Amino acid sequence: MSALISSSLQQRSVIYLILLSALVLSCIWGLKIGAIAISPQVLANTLFNLDGPQQKYILLTSRAPRIVLALLTGGALAIAGSLIQAVIRNPLASPKVVGINSGAAFATCLMIALFPTMTLTNIPVVATLGGALAATIVLLGAHWRGLSPVRLALVGVAVGMLFDSGVDFYLVANTSPEKAAPMMWLTGSLWSRTWSHVEAVWLPIVLLSGLAFSLSYQLDILRLGDETAIGLGQRPALMRFIALLTATVLASISVGVVGVLGFVGLMAPHMATRLVGGQTRHMLPCAMLVGMLLVVLADCVGRALAPPIEVSAGVLTALFGAPFFIVLMLKSDRETTG
Amino acid sequence: MIVKSFQWLTLLVALLLGAVLSLHVGGRADVGIADLLAVITHWDSPSLSQSIMVDIRLPRTLIAGLLGINMGLSGLILQAITRNNLASPSILGINQGAALGMTLAIMLPGFFPIADEAMAVLGALFAGILTFSFAGGLRAKVSPLRLILSGVAVGAFSFAMVRFSFTLDDEVSRDVILWTTGDVAGVRWHDTPLLLALSLFGIIASVLLAHRFNLLALGEAASQGVGANPHITLVLGALIAATLTGISVSVAGPIAFVGLVIPHLCRAMIGSNHRQLVPAVALGGAALMLYAEAFSKIVITGEELPLGVIAAIIGAPYFVYQALFSKEMGL
Repeated sequence: MSALISSSLQQRSVIYLILLSALVLSCIWGLKIGAIAISPQVLANTLFNLDGPQQKYILLTSRAPRIVLALLTGGALAIAGSLIQAVIRNPLASPKVVGINSGAAFATCLMIALFPTMTLTNIPVVATLGGALAATIVLLGAHWRGLSPVRLALVGVAVGMLFDSGVDFYLVANTSPEKAAPMMWLTGSLWSRTWSHVEAVWLPIVLLSGLAFSLSYQLDILRLGDETAIGLGQRPALMRFIALLTATVLASISVGVVGVLGFVGLMAPHMATRLVGGQTRHMLPCAMLVGMLLVVLADCVGRALAPPIEVSAGVLTALFGAPFFIVLMLKSDRETTG
Repeated sequence: MIVKSFQWLTLLVALLLGAVLSLHVGGRADVGIADLLAVITHWDSPSLSQSIMVDIRLPRTLIAGLLGINMGLSGLILQAITRNNLASPSILGINQGAALGMTLAIMLPGFFPIADEAMAVLGALFAGILTFSFAGGLRAKVSPLRLILSGVAVGAFSFAMVRFSFTLDDEVSRDVILWTTGDVAGVRWHDTPLLLALSLFGIIASVLLAHRFNLLALGEAASQGVGANPHITLVLGALIAATLTGISVSVAGPIAFVGLVIPHLCRAMIGSNHRQLVPAVALGGAALMLYAEAFSKIVITGEELPLGVIAAIIGAPYFVYQALFSKEMGL
């Protein structure tokens, strides 16, 4: 079980260093790549305000906010996935599997349909309500029926499909361009995200990520089993509730602002566990970095494939994540049966 | 038999009412069922409303009904060969695979030496085989839950590919969404012969296989014992289901959940004998799709909704219910 092995401090520092440099490199690539390729020289000129040709508008107004949002949402999804997997103890659990993504997307669509005048700052709140509703249905249903991990995934998929059909309904019922604009982001796209989107979500994401980090030691205790946790002065039920709520809000906010980036919340925690071991306090920061890297890369690759056309980041994460899900499932099959 | 004949009558009446409703409602409120009667009685001098009835309403209604037959039978066959009550074309990823095959055929014209419809069937088959092999393949026991989760993953992957290839092509995202939700608004008479032939093929093939499905329901050992090789049943059933799904998808896009809901409802009405289930599912599937087609034209938004969205709104809550409460899932 790789989950129980924790790596040494030295190994961890090397891994963090590699992840961080990969992240920085991919951010720079993200600034360069796109419909108009920008040379490193111009990039350096603009970023450090040196003499010579600059590309202020494209870089600072169009590409920089995208990358900041990719970092924020990638980190949020990865942390949400890690929390959910830690609490439900199900390797297949993720924000998407618990239905949060679809619920949040549905609520956001509903908000745009019913109250077109509402501002961007309301999106996190509305998306969270939708995500929380879906997660409540799935988790309560599963808890109340005493379902196995795989069965929980099935219920989550079913609830997700229910909300997805609502989203489809909205999309095809609205032909006007203003109302049909969400179509693009629903496939998980960072296209045309601006600083105002960043402003709307950065504070809650940073605060909740901080909360998640401060919970990580408690989550490790929870992992030892309810009796031990109670013996150590913890209230397991309350702990689970706080962790799940944090995860729901984090995932919902990121869906509200960039749409459904499928499978990021599933992949990042698993990759992080492989890298630094399963202890939440070590794994969580690593998962966050991996999640950021995944989303930034998905956005970059989507822009690099066939400029000026953009492939939605969510499409790419799904292409990569669906096989990942199958591999995980086959592995958990082997562990339970043989 | 008296009790059963009541059920059959119910199905027939439902079908008939659905047909009338589907023909009666539409974009132009002044065109109604009276025009159909007028068409039948004196077709010498067709008025505008009569042409609407003949050229637009009739083919749509007919195709919706045929799609219902095909998807319902496809679901019934899949549920029989997997012995899993949650199996259906959309949940096993077969719908999405067919959509991917169709997309490839459209995106790369001339690259594949076969017709678009054949590509859709191939995509459906390929997705089905993938799903089965991930779930445990042709081993003696395929875990029902693994089957569904594999199907969901295969479906997610295929759909991501569909969206991917369309974003590469052009800004046709709205058309893609319309097509990927299942839409019959654009169908005309020239689409009907293929679907009609397909439905006939589906009904005849399912009737011929019904006995084998009944034997399979007893268990693979029992089926083998009375001389019906379960693997042959499985392969034949999968081929028929893939053909039904693939060609239906190529005409109207993937329509979800009909294949799940109809066999369940019919089982509740008729019992689990496949010899009676096959015709019942054909009737019931057609009836449900006719109602869905009618509703897709009345819904209030001012814009017609695709058939597939209506079907999903009916079917998805049912899937949630089944996921929570169905008992024969193992695990």
